[in-house]
Amino acid sequence: MDIKAYIESGVIESYVLGMADAQEAAELEQLSRQYPEIRKAIDEFEAALEQQALATAVVPAPRVKEQLLAELDFEKKSKKGVVIGWSRYLAAASVILLVVSASLNVYFYKQFSSASTAYQALLIEKTSLLSDNQQTQTKLLDLYSNMQMMSDPSMIKVSMPGVAGKENSLATVFWDSKSRDVYLLPNKLPEAAAGKQYQLWAIVDGKPVDAGVIDACAGLCKMKNIPAASMFAITLENKGGSAAPTLDQMYVAGKVG
Amino acid sequence: MEVVKKYTEPELVQLLRQRSQSAFAYLYDNYSGALLSIILTIVNEEELANDVLQEVFVKIWKQIESYDSNKGRLFTWMLNIARNASIDTVRSKSFQNSRQNRELTEDVYAAGGTSETRTDQIGLRKMVHSLKEEYRVLVELSYFQGYTQDEIANMLTIPLGTVKTRLRAALTQLREIIKP
Repeated sequence: MDIKAYIESGVIESYVLGMADAQEAAELEQLSRQYPEIRKAIDEFEAALEQQALATAVVPAPRVKEQLLAELDFEKKSKKGVVIGWSRYLAAASVILLVVSASLNVYFYKQFSSASTAYQALLIEKTSLLSDNQQTQTKLLDLYSNMQMMSDPSMIKVSMPGVAGKENSLATVFWDSKSRDVYLLPNKLPEAAAGKQYQLWAIVDGKPVDAGVIDACAGLCKMKNIPAASMFAITLENKGGSAAPTLDQMYVAGKVG
Repeated sequence: MEVVKKYTEPELVQLLRQRSQSAFAYLYDNYSGALLSIILTIVNEEELANDVLQEVFVKIWKQIESYDSNKGRLFTWMLNIARNASIDTVRSKSFQNSRQNRELTEDVYAAGGTSETRTDQIGLRKMVHSLKEEYRVLVELSYFQGYTQDEIANMLTIPLGTVKTRLRAALTQLREIIKP
């Protein structure tokens, strides 16, 4: 196409002055990208128009600028900028604090849970120690009272060494001469087999009298009350005791006095 | 009026988009006079032209995002805002009522005669007056009064093709006058 003729046709002026219709404008915009001469002609006319308008400028009324400066939404640089800056920092800081606080909450909750668990365990341990201690104290008191009984002058001590074949065994009977209560100290007796139990016998007028079976007891085991006896003996019987002693299962025996 | 170069055009546009008051003040100080001269060629009442100028700067401020530097200079964009705002004002009912006794054509054909106002003697309009009569009418109706080429063809009862040809010839002449 004849670019020179196109440029001089007046279409550029029509376009720049906003008088071209949409089709003419689109055509010119497309051609101006294609032909640098057209772009140059547009630029030149625009520059000339601007220079011409500046050359004929008319000073506006002062009120126009005043009103514009008062009305338009300018960016507030100085003070507001600082405020915005601070509030941004504050917002960022509060978010960080929230995160830190939330993490601390989790951390402290975990700490609290484990402390609580540990506390519960300690509580249980304390209770168990307390009851152990009570048991020990009870045992101690028992032993003390046993010792008191054994050292009582009215207490008759009957030592029962092991019979033939059971020489390693030993048991002692403490017999209250006043109340006639019988206490047994199983010093050395082999552990009873399953289903078996030791039984104490008092020999009264040559006949054995049941003085009770020996249960597991700390220190002295309280047996039956025996008013009179010439000797004591222990046999191993079936659990629960027997009416008459099994003589070949005698372990220890001792005479009174 | 000489433009004091403080910013390049892209810098100025960018600062305006960032709502910079100093950039706006710079734009106003350098271009308000030129834009007012454009407005005065269409709105030939000085008080009203100043109102239009204020309106034009509000529009520039609000529409600066839509300015496309690929399509032309910032001034050309502002000039077209000013021209359209001026034409809208002239066409508004209140303005028409204030000059109801004057016929549209009176302005158009007032060739250097008694009805010539101050605005006829400044800027582009003065140059338009130096054009041939048949060209001047077309530029008046098209540029200063904002009629489309179709409307002008109907108004003057001449073919659309003739309107286009004559208008382009008029603008070509105008360019020769404007050229520095």
